[in-house]
Amino acid sequence: MAGENTQEYWRWTESHWKNPDIRWEDAKIVTVGIDVGSVSSQAVVMTDGHLYAYSNMRTGSDSPESARNALNFGLEETNMPESRIDYCIGTGYGRVNVPMADRSITEIACHARGAHFIYGPEVRTVLDVGGQDCKAIRCDEKGKVVNFLMNDKCAAGTGRGMEVFADLLSVPIIDVGERSFQVKEEPESVSSTCVVYAKTEATGLLRKGWQVNEVLAAYCSAMAHRIFTLIERIGIEKEFAITGGLAKNRGVIERLMKEIGLEPMRTDWDTQIAGAVGAALFGYALVQKGKGRKK
Amino acid sequence: MLEKFQEWYENRHEYQEKYKERTGNKIVGYFCTYTPEELFYAADILPVRILGSHEPQDVTEPHIFGMFCPFCRDALAQGLKGKYDYLDGITIGQSCLHLRQAFTSWDLHKNPGWSYFLPMPNHVQSKRAVPFLVEEYRLLIKKIEELAGKRIRDDDLRQGIDIMNKVRQAMKEIYEFRKEENPPITGTEAMYMTCAQFFTDAREFLPVAKEVNRELASRRLDRDPGKRIMLIGSENDDIEYINMIETLGERESVGCTVVVEEHCTTTRYFWDEVDTDIDDPVRAIAERYVLRTPCPSKDWPQRTRLQRILKLAKDFRVDGAIIIQQKFCDPHEADIPFIRRFLEDNGIPTYFLEFDVTVASGPFAVRTEAFLETLEAEEDLF
Repeated sequence: MAGENTQEYWRWTESHWKNPDIRWEDAKIVTVGIDVGSVSSQAVVMTDGHLYAYSNMRTGSDSPESARNALNFGLEETNMPESRIDYCIGTGYGRVNVPMADRSITEIACHARGAHFIYGPEVRTVLDVGGQDCKAIRCDEKGKVVNFLMNDKCAAGTGRGMEVFADLLSVPIIDVGERSFQVKEEPESVSSTCVVYAKTEATGLLRKGWQVNEVLAAYCSAMAHRIFTLIERIGIEKEFAITGGLAKNRGVIERLMKEIGLEPMRTDWDTQIAGAVGAALFGYALVQKGKGRKK
Repeated sequence: MLEKFQEWYENRHEYQEKYKERTGNKIVGYFCTYTPEELFYAADILPVRILGSHEPQDVTEPHIFGMFCPFCRDALAQGLKGKYDYLDGITIGQSCLHLRQAFTSWDLHKNPGWSYFLPMPNHVQSKRAVPFLVEEYRLLIKKIEELAGKRIRDDDLRQGIDIMNKVRQAMKEIYEFRKEENPPITGTEAMYMTCAQFFTDAREFLPVAKEVNRELASRRLDRDPGKRIMLIGSENDDIEYINMIETLGERESVGCTVVVEEHCTTTRYFWDEVDTDIDDPVRAIAERYVLRTPCPSKDWPQRTRLQRILKLAKDFRVDGAIIIQQKFCDPHEADIPFIRRFLEDNGIPTYFLEFDVTVASGPFAVRTEAFLETLEAEEDLF
């Protein structure tokens, strides 16, 4: 059909990065963490415990292939042969299907450790909003999990829901947060974060004459509230940090912070790599202590 | 011989139907472990516990509120779907309203023939509980006599006590093996055993349990036991979940073994015996049910369960406890914050999971695994 809109609004940009200040050839220990999540996959390469390179991609239908793609993408501009890797840990939903991993550790432990690295040792509460689940984690000064909660049974109010919404309203996902504040007044939240019901409700609001930005605001505040009820159950101790893709959506995060009444810690790092960072750091610690790969 | 328990668990209806044909004995289904099985054995009637099937169903909606627990719904569904049509009657010893609703609906809509509601006192800590229950038992005995078509004498009751005490002892002896460093019996197998006991004649169960006991003495399991876990909470025969966490070690870097439970499908049900030094057998049985490890619906004003849970946790040297609640099981829900605080104060970490008819294996696996990781104290990772 002429003029058919084929833009995929949900599609976020896949990226990779290499630290220009590090030469992997000088490194004593190279470790890798690969986080195969339900929606996105990351590979993080660390040289002697420093962040050297990473990639952030969409997870495909095949976990081993997603892990492979993420690692290749991460190593793309480094010229580092894969054989240089001393230890690799798989984490995330597909953690047992990472073919190059020496062992697996849950994403809960990895996100706590990753947040500790990214945000600093003061972090005590970590909220990870991933593609299909949401975790509230309490950790100690080492980044070790003390207690945690996950959303039950349903993936409402997570990253994938936001992707569906971006598509429904034809708003590029990167702009959702910003545009949700471009409203004259804050509308009522949609009453459900269930993706299916919220879609119906959003369509109803549009039909009643509400503007797209207002509907975005209504959904962002519904998601913020759902996340709040989870994190409230575990109790928030300062400092508070957010990881995962949704940390990049200020429409949800700022509304959540308003409910909590607390400023989150800030970072320039990509918040989606926290799990893989934690995995790579666990690998580094193991190799350092002689508990690495058996030659 | 251990696999016999699983066979009985999986083929409960086949066993019970054949049992009737084979022995000519009647079978009564009961809903709650507050039903005194001794009285039924005394009349040569087989008491069998009604458990759910863990299959999604759509027949109980008109009978039970949506906010009643999934176990009572699952149990009622078995009756409404005709899976227990061979029963000669049903009964319940009062514990909670949810399960009583399942009993009442079954009674109303399935015409079970014989049915009896036993008003088991909820205030078991009252001095009047035992004398009250003795009188209630005398009424129940008359009703059982009508069904059996014969008188129940004191010696018959002593026979019933003897049968039940012997299986309780046999299961406790098997539990002793679970205290070992590398238990020769998994939690999955133990759960098959305790549930098989619900479904079979104790006199047929007993020789198998004795044989298993002999086998366990030399049995070695080729698996890393991992962390020693205790399960605590509502009715639970979710063997799929237990098996899933006990096989985590085959796929992941952490594993565990369930070494003891505090459920009404396990220790709460069988741990306490009838005191045979008490002359009047009716009174002896009544005391056993009043003083047994209580269901939280009866554990007030004192929470006596806490100390019993702690004793099991210590005797079986558990590393952590997973607290399980059947969704909407209010008596257990009210106890959970106290149990968790109490165990944590005593150095036993806990994690909470809410169960439904079917278990969300994936999300429960990652949660359980992350909990095991917190128990691991793997300092090498930091």
